Amino acid sequence: MTSKIINMAERIKDEQDRLLESMFESAPIADDGFSGQLVRRIRRKLWVRRITLPMAALLGGLVAFQPMVSLLKGVYGLLSSMPGDLVPSLSGSLPSLQLIVTGALILFVTLFSLNMLED
Amino acid sequence: MAWGEDNELVARAVSSQDTRAFGELIRRHQSHVRNFLRKLSGDISAADDLAQDCFMHAWNKLHTFSGRGSFIGWLLKIAYTTFLQSKRKSKRYAEILEQVGHVSVAESRTHSVQADEVGDLDKFLAVLSEEERAIMVMSYACGLSHREISEATSMPVGSVKSVIFRGKEKIRTSFDIKDHQHG
Repeated sequence: MTSKIINMAERIKDEQDRLLESMFESAPIADDGFSGQLVRRIRRKLWVRRITLPMAALLGGLVAFQPMVSLLKGVYGLLSSMPGDLVPSLSGSLPSLQLIVTGALILFVTLFSLNMLED
Repeated sequence: MAWGEDNELVARAVSSQDTRAFGELIRRHQSHVRNFLRKLSGDISAADDLAQDCFMHAWNKLHTFSGRGSFIGWLLKIAYTTFLQSKRKSKRYAEILEQVGHVSVAESRTHSVQADEVGDLDKFLAVLSEEERAIMVMSYACGLSHREISEATSMPVGSVKSVIFRGKEKIRTSFDIKDHQHG
């Protein structure tokens, strides 16, 4: 009820209100590519956001690849040089280095593709 | 393609990052937003830059639109905030320039409409303070209700009404309205 009264009061316009409305009235501004330009800007921003994380992961992966291989080689060498009775179960079940690297690459590519598809 | 109501477009844009739906919202409201900012800043190109920033902010904050008020009211709130932020930035910039001995360029940019282009509306707006100008433009040019203006400016409805009353009084005392009416 109160809001109705307020709305009614708002609608009651005096002569000056009507005059001001006509003074403030301006011709609509043509779009002229304004919205298209903005949509392109937003799409570019979205694309950059989508690509940034996977690209950073890819670059990080490339940078970290060589040290990772060295580290794995070191660990593998350490485990192989240990006496067999010290690590009896582990030495038999360790996968080869090639398998570890291939598996990690497949996992990375899968995650990357899933992320792209999701977007 | 037939588009629905504003709220439907907002929902589509938020749920599936649909830029086409948001593009339609821009097409619908760009004229109001650009007109509002042009009247506030008095500079067409600066106003259009601000309108672009406003729509970018709107895209980033779209999920915060509750759908209770009108979309244009929500947009004008962002436009007004964007305008005030830009004003503050240029003021700070002008202060820094003054400190290092340069002539302030920010002041000259405000209301840079050429003297011969000054129309009745520009004269009216010139007598109003920035806040009064924003509220009067929202009310008379954009047709927002007092409640929508109150939401857009974060002011109580009563204060909005008194600002409009004060603005009208200023215009009434500064200009002979009847002259405009008849001539």
